[in-house]
Amino acid sequence: MDIDDILREVDPTFHSVPREKRDLQDLTRAWVAERSAPELLPWPAGGLFERINDNIKRQIEKVEEMTGDMDPKTNFVLIVIQTELERFKFLVRSYLRARIAKIDRHTLHYLSTDDLRARLSEMELAYATRHQALLHNHYLSSFLSSFPPALQNLNDTAGNISMIDAPDLDAAVFIRLLEDTVVQGRGVDADGEMDGRESDIVILRWSDAKPLVEAGRAELV
Amino acid sequence: MALPLPPGLNHAEVAFLAEMEMVTVVPRQRLESINLLSGQTPPLRPPHRAELPLWLALLLKKQRRANILPPPWLHPSSLAEIIHRETKEDPVTFSAPPPPPSHANPHDPGTARRVRDADADANLAPPFLPSCTAGAPAGYLPYHWLEVAEALLTHAGDDMAAPAGDVRSLLRDLVEVRAAKMRSSTSALEGFGGGLMSLRGVGAMELAESRGFVLGVVDGVRKIGASAEAARREEEELGGGREDDESDEDMGI
Amino acid sequence: MSYYDIDSILTDAEKIPCTFQLEIPELGYLDNQPGQPLKAGSKIALPLWLAEMLAIANTGGDDQAKSFVTFDLPAALSNEVVQALKADPRAVPLRDQSPHLYGLATHMMDLSEEQELGVVLRKTFVTRASEIALHARKVGGTGHNKGTADEGSNLGVGGTGEEFLRGLEEWERKLFRKAHDGAKAGKEWMENVKKR
Repeated sequence: MDIDDILREVDPTFHSVPREKRDLQDLTRAWVAERSAPELLPWPAGGLFERINDNIKRQIEKVEEMTGDMDPKTNFVLIVIQTELERFKFLVRSYLRARIAKIDRHTLHYLSTDDLRARLSEMELAYATRHQALLHNHYLSSFLSSFPPALQNLNDTAGNISMIDAPDLDAAVFIRLLEDTVVQGRGVDADGEMDGRESDIVILRWSDAKPLVEAGRAELV
Repeated sequence: MALPLPPGLNHAEVAFLAEMEMVTVVPRQRLESINLLSGQTPPLRPPHRAELPLWLALLLKKQRRANILPPPWLHPSSLAEIIHRETKEDPVTFSAPPPPPSHANPHDPGTARRVRDADADANLAPPFLPSCTAGAPAGYLPYHWLEVAEALLTHAGDDMAAPAGDVRSLLRDLVEVRAAKMRSSTSALEGFGGGLMSLRGVGAMELAESRGFVLGVVDGVRKIGASAEAARREEEELGGGREDDESDEDMGI
Repeated sequence: MSYYDIDSILTDAEKIPCTFQLEIPELGYLDNQPGQPLKAGSKIALPLWLAEMLAIANTGGDDQAKSFVTFDLPAALSNEVVQALKADPRAVPLRDQSPHLYGLATHMMDLSEEQELGVVLRKTFVTRASEIALHARKVGGTGHNKGTADEGSNLGVGGTGEEFLRGLEEWERKLFRKAHDGAKAGKEWMENVKKR
């Protein structure tokens, strides 16, 4: 039993938003955030993704059961269910692909520390590890092996530039404030601060936006 | 497999998102509740109104199973009012977004509390706010105004309060006025030494169109100014927390 | 700057005017004097990556240690260019100065303080960005512009517009592409909604 279930039992108003709906809201927000953030965001906690995947699987089975039924009324229901199913599949796919794009681009970076590795799902971690191994082997067999051993690394951080490419955490993003809050942003000439109002859309560096987003006071848009 | 798209939702993705907005329909046929992944749909009983996500409402509309009630802000008088506000009252910034839907506090009618998801740390935001339903306020453009308006005009033009052509021409004017504001906000980026800029009231499509460019300018300014910024920080650190922004004056552009 | 970034690699290959601070045996051929030592005070253009290393490294040993070379700003960032940019940022074809002008400049500013250069370039970048947005809309369609009014015309692809676009350096070209893609996608979406 997780905290949500406990809350559900003690709070009579909790039923106002059913879990299915909240899951869609959470997935949608995670998708938009992942499509907008310059770096890979943590894999959603609380089994959100696994739950949605299970539901999708179950819904597909239901569609298969219903397909035999040719009653036109049911047929329309089937169209509705399938349309929604496709929408969910699109969300899930786009979300995963946005993550894979980031993992592909900075594989070594996301594998480099435990904190970063913890952002990946188990599957993504396996993918990233294999991806990197394949790449390294390919480089080795095509040209790296003819270099002196000391120059064969792909993760050399000596010299003034690291071989481990990382995302630009200061890249600018758009966020929407979800509540009234002070927003601080570093600038070139001066650092700014504003009394943000709920619904404000603000441009600032991701590194400055991140604490607000993580605290649930703002979301990426 | 990796998604080859630049960061930020593009137009098609924004349109997809907007189809999650709730709209109000008047069913023409009965339809039992459907068990969807996002939960149960309300049973449809003509002539009782029901709220459904836009994608489902459009599906019903195409099958002539329901009519869609356009949101009050899409009424010609509301659009005209917004255009007036965007041009005459404040020709610089976007007009305000709809006020957060609220439960009026019975003990103190002046204060209204924002609707929160029962889950205390999930603040709702578009497209999950009821800003395109029949109960939405007139005179305010919600975040997904253009996408929702276009979808309704195209697929439910006969449900409009006025001839679709009239609504469309008002929308065109609005698009123009606001595009000009988006453009002039770019010149404001020149002063983006300050680290923050608010585009309160901007719409999702407007963001999608300008995102790459605007963020590109902000990032460029940061990179060109990086060494100046580093020098400033060093100086401030040496200044030992004194309130000194003198360097701003000779840096000012 | 990132390891695999081709633009940053190309930027590092740009030549910088350097002055050697000490005599170096056998290197005279760099200055068209094969077989001779390279004399202290010789001015030779070196790629940025090499100039940087030689300027930072020193001859080691005692207190007399000094850099192998000192360097100046490249012609692309010379005072003449800066003055021209101050006068009218839009009138200078940056690409003719260097296809990686901003990248080169940020690198140079990292190496030595160039306050004025930074201020002028930031102003230049933003002013030209507005101009870029203008042209991108013209080429990519006018966004939601209904008419063929002045903005809808193809003024941007002929005459001065073409000249301006030709003079864009790499950062600016990327910016142009982003602005153009945004405007184009907006137009396409509008057309598609009606078709569906």
